[in-house]
Amino acid sequence: MLKIENLSYKYPDGTVGLKKVSMEIPLERTFVILGESGSGKTTFLRCLGKFIIPQSGSVFYYDEDIKNMDNKKFRQTIGIIFQRLYLFPHMTILKNMSLGPIKILKRDRKETEKEAYNMLERLGIPELAENYPSQISGGQAQRAAIARGLMMHPKIMLLDEPTSALDLKTTNDLAEWLKELNEKTTFIAVTHDIPFAKKVAQHGICLNKGEISSSGDIKKIASHMSSANY
Amino acid sequence: MFFRSNKIIFVLLLIISTITISNAKNDNFKVALTGKYPPFSMYDSHGNLAGFDVDVSKAIADKLDKKLILIATQWDAILPGLLTGKYDVIIGSMAVTKERSKKVNFSDPYYESGAQLFIHKRSANSIKSINDCTDKRIGVVLGETFAQFLRNKHPGIERVTYKSTVDIFNDLDNGRISGFVSDKLLGMYQIKKSKRKFIPTGELLFKEQMAIPVNKNNKILLQEVNKALSEMRESGELQQLFDKWFSNNSVKQKQTSIKRITIIKLFVKGFGLTLLVAFLSIIIGFLLAVPGGLILNNKKITGNKVIRAVNDLFRGTPVLIQLFFVYFGIGGLLSQKFGINLSAITAAIFTLSINAAAYMSEVVRSGLMSVPMGQKYAAKAIGFNKWQIFSLVIWPQAFRIALPPLMNSVVALIKDTALISVITVPEIIRQAQSVISITFDPIKYYLIVALMFYLITFPLMKFSAILEKQIKEKGFGNA
Repeated sequence: MLKIENLSYKYPDGTVGLKKVSMEIPLERTFVILGESGSGKTTFLRCLGKFIIPQSGSVFYYDEDIKNMDNKKFRQTIGIIFQRLYLFPHMTILKNMSLGPIKILKRDRKETEKEAYNMLERLGIPELAENYPSQISGGQAQRAAIARGLMMHPKIMLLDEPTSALDLKTTNDLAEWLKELNEKTTFIAVTHDIPFAKKVAQHGICLNKGEISSSGDIKKIASHMSSANY
Repeated sequence: MFFRSNKIIFVLLLIISTITISNAKNDNFKVALTGKYPPFSMYDSHGNLAGFDVDVSKAIADKLDKKLILIATQWDAILPGLLTGKYDVIIGSMAVTKERSKKVNFSDPYYESGAQLFIHKRSANSIKSINDCTDKRIGVVLGETFAQFLRNKHPGIERVTYKSTVDIFNDLDNGRISGFVSDKLLGMYQIKKSKRKFIPTGELLFKEQMAIPVNKNNKILLQEVNKALSEMRESGELQQLFDKWFSNNSVKQKQTSIKRITIIKLFVKGFGLTLLVAFLSIIIGFLLAVPGGLILNNKKITGNKVIRAVNDLFRGTPVLIQLFFVYFGIGGLLSQKFGINLSAITAAIFTLSINAAAYMSEVVRSGLMSVPMGQKYAAKAIGFNKWQIFSLVIWPQAFRIALPPLMNSVVALIKDTALISVITVPEIIRQAQSVISITFDPIKYYLIVALMFYLITFPLMKFSAILEKQIKEKGFGNA
């Protein structure tokens, strides 16, 4: 369980990012954070991923404040995939995936590469292994980026707008795919794509101007959002 | 690449002459000459220095009972070198003038010659003397006394200064100048040697006394040199040497032609040195450029401003001037304060390394800048520590982006080594100049030198182009 208490964040220019956000995210199922652009959802995700430090409030992974976790442990607990993915252009997809486990977890190179290959196979994209990021499509890159994150076996994986670069078909593929992967890793996805949210999750919240405007069942949130002229 | 004005040299002299040199007593007699002034100083068919000045140097060294060390130096750098203690004396057919006497002490003259106007045969009817040259272009070699003479006595003449007599000859043949003023002995010798249709016209413009300049604070050496000269004069040795080189067609082909194998040897040696200096400067420059670029890329790091200033200074001033300052300025200071002798090659490598570092660190900085910040975030998200982020993710991308412009810097640096001849490094340009002073065929030998450079730089440029293409294809530097 991820417990968020009174999280507030203000940008250096004074803009409010988050205002006293409190909630609990159960880690059994995929969870989505909905909201318009500028609602604070990406800010929220970055606070969870420790990329920005909130001025007040705390995030607990079970009983442990993530502030106090050492970097290595934290990154194995919470992974994050940015909207623009940032695959490393000077390495093949296989190297992109295996570099972290080899260098950080000190795992054997051959075993790691084998695991990476198996994962690509399971995800239906084994042919990408020896390709460079510039040689693959947007949908493939999205999968490759998630696969790279999964290689570190985090308990939670944060996804920032995973469907923003995808067409309808690849969006549906991704949704199917996340359902399959849900066993070992909980996904927390920030999105404004309601159909996608409905497909991958049952529960979520909706942020508006840095505050939680509604929470609970996705369908209810969605109807609430559409009535609010979203 | 060469000085066009005496002013620059004069300013350098002023700065450098404030540095006085204590001459440590030793058994070496270091003599500077140009090696490009046949038959006074030149390279013989074995590539050794020979000529009248060389013979006089040997004779004086014998009298002083010291070991002779000959140092070949560019004419326009020869006085600064003496003032900063790079050598003890100049025995290079230097004429005594008031201006020079302010900076150095001259020995008694060891021979006399005079200034002579030479013209092309085709203008024999129109130019009878120097008085017919008003508003005409007349060539003189840079740094010699003739330019000053013309400026004072014949201000109506347009003076054109040249680096060497060879260039003057070519321009006179091509009609770019109407004539030239040169030492009479030398002029006759060179015209005959290069089979040109030039003739002396009119009387001698003035007589010159050639003497040996010695540093002002080295009175003892001056006395010793004068004593040696007077002994040589009395014994007839000096006259013998003069006759050997100048009496009745004494100029023998044997002494002034140069064998092809010698030319090849000189060129190979010179180019080897050029490549060595370039290689070391590139390596040192690059090793400095990496931390330099990192510091430049981060304004918060202390030292950012210092490196910025050094880079601006080195990129904003001519390499030629930098070489002069390091070799004569810093070199003079080191020898004066600490007794350390900064060799010409060390000075060249030092200057070119800093220069390379200045350019390369900017390239490294822009390479680092063009790696999107997101790459750092993604690496951090995976869990890499700071060093891993830099060494595994940022640097490999920055380096690939920086490689093509780095290659351009390398090419530029290799070409810059051509400048180090001015501080006496016997690299390829200097060797070519020596050969040309004997063969009088600048086009041929400079073409060979250019080709040698091109053979090295062309593959580098191609390599750079291929890399650039690959990097574009792989999408480096895109967000």
